Amino acid sequence: VSVVDPITLEVVCEGLIAIVREMRATVIRASYSPVIWDMDDFSCALFDPQGQMIAQSDDHPGHVLPMPWSVRCAMEDFEGDLRPGDVILLNDAYRGGTHLNDVTMLYPLFDAGELFILPAVRAHWADVGGSTPGSYSGLNTNIYQEGVRIPPIKILAEGRLNRAAMALLLNNMRLPEDRQGDFDASLGACRVAEARIRRLLAKYGRKTVLDCIALNLDRAERRCRARIATLPDGEYVYEDYLEFYQDGRFDPVLMRLTLTVRGDEIVADFAGSSPQVPGVVNSTLATTGAGVVVAVKAALDPEGPINAGTFRPIHLRAPAASIVDVKGDAPAGAHGEVRKRAVSVMLGALAQIVPELVSGDLCGTSFPNAIGGRDARRRRDYVYYEAPSGGNGAWLAEDGASAWGNIDFGNVRTIQSAEALESAMPLRVERSELRCDSGGEGRTRGGLGLRREIRLLEGEARYSVLSDRAVLPPFGVGGAGPAAPVRVSVRRDGEEIELPMPGKATGHTLGAGETVIMQSAGGGGYGDPLAREPERVRQDVRSGYVSAVRAREGYGVVLTQHGEVDAAATAAERTRLAAARRRFPVVGDERDPYDGRRGKHRLVRLAPGLAHALGLTTGDLVEMLGRHPAPLRAWVRVDDAAPAEQVALDALGRRILGVADGDGVEIRRLSTPPIPGGLVSAERAHEHAVTPIA
Amino acid sequence: VYWVGVDVGGTFTDVVVYDEATGALAVAKSPTSPADPTVGLLNALAKLRVTLSATGRVVHGTTIGTNAILERKGAPVFVLTTRGFRDTLEIARTNRTVLYDIRARKPAPLTTRERVIEVDERMAADGTVVRPLREPEVREAIARVLAAQNGEGPGAVVVCFLHSYANAAHERAAAGVAAEGLPRWFVSASHEVLPEFREYERFSTAVLNAYIGPKVGGYLSGLGRALAERGYTGRVFVTTSSGGIMTAEVAARFPVHTVLSGPAGGVAAAVNLGRLTGHPDLITYDMGGTSTDVCLVEALEPTLTTEQHIAGLPNRTPQIEINSIGAGGGSVVWVDAGGALRVGPRSAGADPGPACYGRGGVEPTITDANLVLGRLAGDVSLAGEVPLDVDRARRALATLGDRVPGLGDEAALAEGIVRIAVARMVSAIKEISIAKGHDPRDFVLLAYGGAGPMHAALVAEELEMPRVIVPPVPGNFSAFGPLISDLRRDYVRTRLMPTRGGTLDDVEGVFAELTAEAHRDLAADRLPFERISTVRALGMRYVGQSWELLVRMPAACDSMAALEAAFRAAHERRYGHASDGAAEIVNFRLTAIGEVARPALERWPARGALAGALRVERPVRFGGEAVRTPVYVRERLPAGAVIIGPAVIEEMGATTVVPPGWTATVGTWGELALTRRSL
Repeated sequence: VSVVDPITLEVVCEGLIAIVREMRATVIRASYSPVIWDMDDFSCALFDPQGQMIAQSDDHPGHVLPMPWSVRCAMEDFEGDLRPGDVILLNDAYRGGTHLNDVTMLYPLFDAGELFILPAVRAHWADVGGSTPGSYSGLNTNIYQEGVRIPPIKILAEGRLNRAAMALLLNNMRLPEDRQGDFDASLGACRVAEARIRRLLAKYGRKTVLDCIALNLDRAERRCRARIATLPDGEYVYEDYLEFYQDGRFDPVLMRLTLTVRGDEIVADFAGSSPQVPGVVNSTLATTGAGVVVAVKAALDPEGPINAGTFRPIHLRAPAASIVDVKGDAPAGAHGEVRKRAVSVMLGALAQIVPELVSGDLCGTSFPNAIGGRDARRRRDYVYYEAPSGGNGAWLAEDGASAWGNIDFGNVRTIQSAEALESAMPLRVERSELRCDSGGEGRTRGGLGLRREIRLLEGEARYSVLSDRAVLPPFGVGGAGPAAPVRVSVRRDGEEIELPMPGKATGHTLGAGETVIMQSAGGGGYGDPLAREPERVRQDVRSGYVSAVRAREGYGVVLTQHGEVDAAATAAERTRLAAARRRFPVVGDERDPYDGRRGKHRLVRLAPGLAHALGLTTGDLVEMLGRHPAPLRAWVRVDDAAPAEQVALDALGRRILGVADGDGVEIRRLSTPPIPGGLVSAERAHEHAVTPIA
Repeated sequence: VYWVGVDVGGTFTDVVVYDEATGALAVAKSPTSPADPTVGLLNALAKLRVTLSATGRVVHGTTIGTNAILERKGAPVFVLTTRGFRDTLEIARTNRTVLYDIRARKPAPLTTRERVIEVDERMAADGTVVRPLREPEVREAIARVLAAQNGEGPGAVVVCFLHSYANAAHERAAAGVAAEGLPRWFVSASHEVLPEFREYERFSTAVLNAYIGPKVGGYLSGLGRALAERGYTGRVFVTTSSGGIMTAEVAARFPVHTVLSGPAGGVAAAVNLGRLTGHPDLITYDMGGTSTDVCLVEALEPTLTTEQHIAGLPNRTPQIEINSIGAGGGSVVWVDAGGALRVGPRSAGADPGPACYGRGGVEPTITDANLVLGRLAGDVSLAGEVPLDVDRARRALATLGDRVPGLGDEAALAEGIVRIAVARMVSAIKEISIAKGHDPRDFVLLAYGGAGPMHAALVAEELEMPRVIVPPVPGNFSAFGPLISDLRRDYVRTRLMPTRGGTLDDVEGVFAELTAEAHRDLAADRLPFERISTVRALGMRYVGQSWELLVRMPAACDSMAALEAAFRAAHERRYGHASDGAAEIVNFRLTAIGEVARPALERWPARGALAGALRVERPVRFGGEAVRTPVYVRERLPAGAVIIGPAVIEEMGATTVVPPGWTATVGTWGELALTRRSL
């Protein structure tokens, strides 16, 4: 039992956070990677030797939340073998890392011969080797293509730099001088932390500091439990997808969440999610868990502290070697996408519990783009990197914010200044604007995505992009519409060419004069768009956020030629649109609804008459709306054996929608980009592949 | 001849008058008249019977622009911008400043999307024309502006084109067409406000300027007329965010330079006192009722920054780097959902005020804690107006004890609250000192504001700072700033120049252009400067870095290598390391300072004995024990007096606490110097 008074407790905790702030200040501009210095894509925190996070500041949730796992992995490897002056470096996605670009430094600090505290810095290095400049590619099939894998190693041993290891690392990364700078920045921050922690110890003594830490974690835990306890007990299910291709064929992978609330604890169980795939959409459980924590906190207690205490009431379960808990040698480059999808499924599940606290789906992808080449005029290689933010989901009271980092993304600047970019690289920003009609339509509207057009002026370059939500759009809740998905294309001689796999490219060759058009996704809407105040729709049209066509077709708002609301026509149009929504009764069908090869995607079997009436055909993507706020996505399979005028759903599907046999379900078609390779089907593969054994 | 300094604040207008003949200072206060601040100003002046025809200089600090931004009550701003970039202001830098909150809002720009009109023109980064500007298109755009404004009177138009810092021809031409087509409108161009690269930050600064332009300009010309009608024949000056003053004419064109002029005035006054007392390295500590501002001054130069935000929007004009936190004397102490004790940022304000004011406030504040500790007087009135009620303060504190076990009695709790507040001050000072490579032990803590002198020694103790200085009348210290500030104009030019390959002549060439421009401007001001000096600095970075570090141009710089060395030293100090990689210059900055005559202050009288200043003795709590402590009246302290702590020194509007182990000495100018007796 601790005897620290509440005042000393506050003073010491303030001191610990001040140390992290000082670490951040040190990293913030001394780094060389544009992602670090221009976008603040890095984080600092303090840990105890058990891997408990003690303090952080305004740090990137995607970085700091998985960090406890990094510390535990390092502690396992170096148990009993750590000495003062040792510094650990790691990025191994299977052993404490996230994706290989995030390089983590741990700085064990000793007091009186005992390991006491670990300052840590995780920073996104602009390149860590691998198949493409920027080490980012949506087409990698194994981790070796993603760069150098650094298991937890002592990069400094008792204060001496391991020059061999350093040389080996830098020799395998592009722009090694810059990487050295990134390394130095992290080291500088850790050294600053050491000096400050020593002062704190000298002043208060180790026992008091440790007691303060323990008390602080305990009260964060109490606070988090108190919030969870307000939720009704129960099990809530939701599912969503990540976009995976094999041999150019679309094979979406399934993420399924069963969220259990029991008393003051939450269990997020990912059982039923797809096994890991030879593609980038896998992540460590630590990163998946970060998505869960972010969603819980963002919905239930945004002002609460973030430390190990906050995490205690939240439990994770996941099948091993799955997309949410990757093992060797599958890639993990799109770990952030998995984290974002974990946020999506959490929102879908939480919407069933506390709809007033959630928003429509976020843009749901970090959308990293890289262009690399040789700048002949400046005689220098360059890597341009940016990840244009998309929209945020709308919520009960407000439209979603446009072009703003998602909640799991920290205070990251995701686009560069056109003027700074053009003065450093042979590129020109032709356009940087909000995408009209990209926000999900709802009573409150989802935020808009961005349209960025970047032209290569001279030489040849390679373009890579690694995105999700390029086929399946972010979903709305409460009857709202989906947002526009990500779209990437290249303009060559005035012609716009789509990528063969939406949102994914590796080392695509760009010639001088060609323009990459990057369009980030919007955010999902909230509530019925026919209930949006016509005046707000008119204002959106006036501002160019919504087109007059979508005002009419999506919101049922008819404007006069002077741009004013035509009240009578609007009322009529809204009545007509509401009447056109048809619900069909659900009928139980317990056959396995999923298809896919590596992945798994839900089918909805429709009788030909019904499909025809809805204008649907096999392979179309639809969403079904039931009683729960979030929709259920599926691909249409026209099936002669399906019941007429009814929607066949298995028990899980019925739970996701909150419907019972006989309840009505609405089916909406979602438009998707062309995918030349088409959607895989195991069933059809089966038909062709099986030959009778003689 | 009189010199008049005016500070129009949100609640009160403060006037400081200096009589050149006698060296005497007089101070007056009058409620601010929000509808027309000139009225409040003239009322305050009337209290002092200043003869305006015998007044040589009127210097004015104003929050009119600041408030217009914070309250979002500026002019309608129309923006002409490069095709493809209409959303630059709304997109901003896309970074989420509020983490983890799914319901948080992105700061909204000061103009709406339909007021941004694209023009098909384009410059390249090197200033060459990619697509020429066509005047008919600009005229069309202006016609759209007029149509949109729909006869609602003049607003503001600002031309924000890409790469205008490199070649302003298009912006200039478009602004010319706009000025012609929109008489009586506030017309400006982004390169005039800030000829610096990075479009979002420049456009944002230019839009802030346009947003407050009509309001500030209208006010200043009205004030000029009102003063002239009353016989004033001199010029009106306005204090700037960078701690200088500029003429009202310049301020009316570039009001964005004034948005932080309030706290900058205090720092300017601090620099002056530092100069007089021989302490060139200072950390200023201004603790008022709702917030605390701290700033680092090295060699009598306040740290400047161009990276501040106002209302979430970047303002990249040079400003004194002030770190502001939401904790002041009136800050409410509360218990959060997790059971942690917190101080601020919510403040009880002046109404209802702290619980001890007895005006209906029931929540405990820092002021209440100090009253319970005996550090504030329970027997005389604060600022001569409000009687303080110890029992109410104690009852308010008791409500906390019920909610957090282990807090002890009210007195122990009160001492703890002060410790928590001090810890926050200490963090704020660390961010501007240690985090930037400065050791606070090398600095003197200069404390002012109503609550600063009460906590200063405790803050210094935590930071191991050996000396605290408390100026006379610390509650009104900031209003003195405008009177002692020099005329100051800041110039910047973006030009990328590698240190290897470039020559010093290239550098000098750019500075020569800026210097010529500065001399032209200062000559146009037609003022009797004592001296004109310039300070040169460079924004430099390693090739590959994006954000630059401000490097003072070395006094004796004979080569690019020397310049590079100066950059490396600055980098080393700020970040703890520096490589010998290639560096480049990004921005050239020149500050022209027109020195004006400063008031010669009266010396503090040495008459009388210390005992004559003793008002009473009362128990004051320090370190868990109530200690019998002498309480002095500051006005009666003789120069040279030495007071051994514990002691309390009271004056109108502020109380200085000298804790045990500290000694206070009354200096030549009436300042109190607090030093630690031993370590």
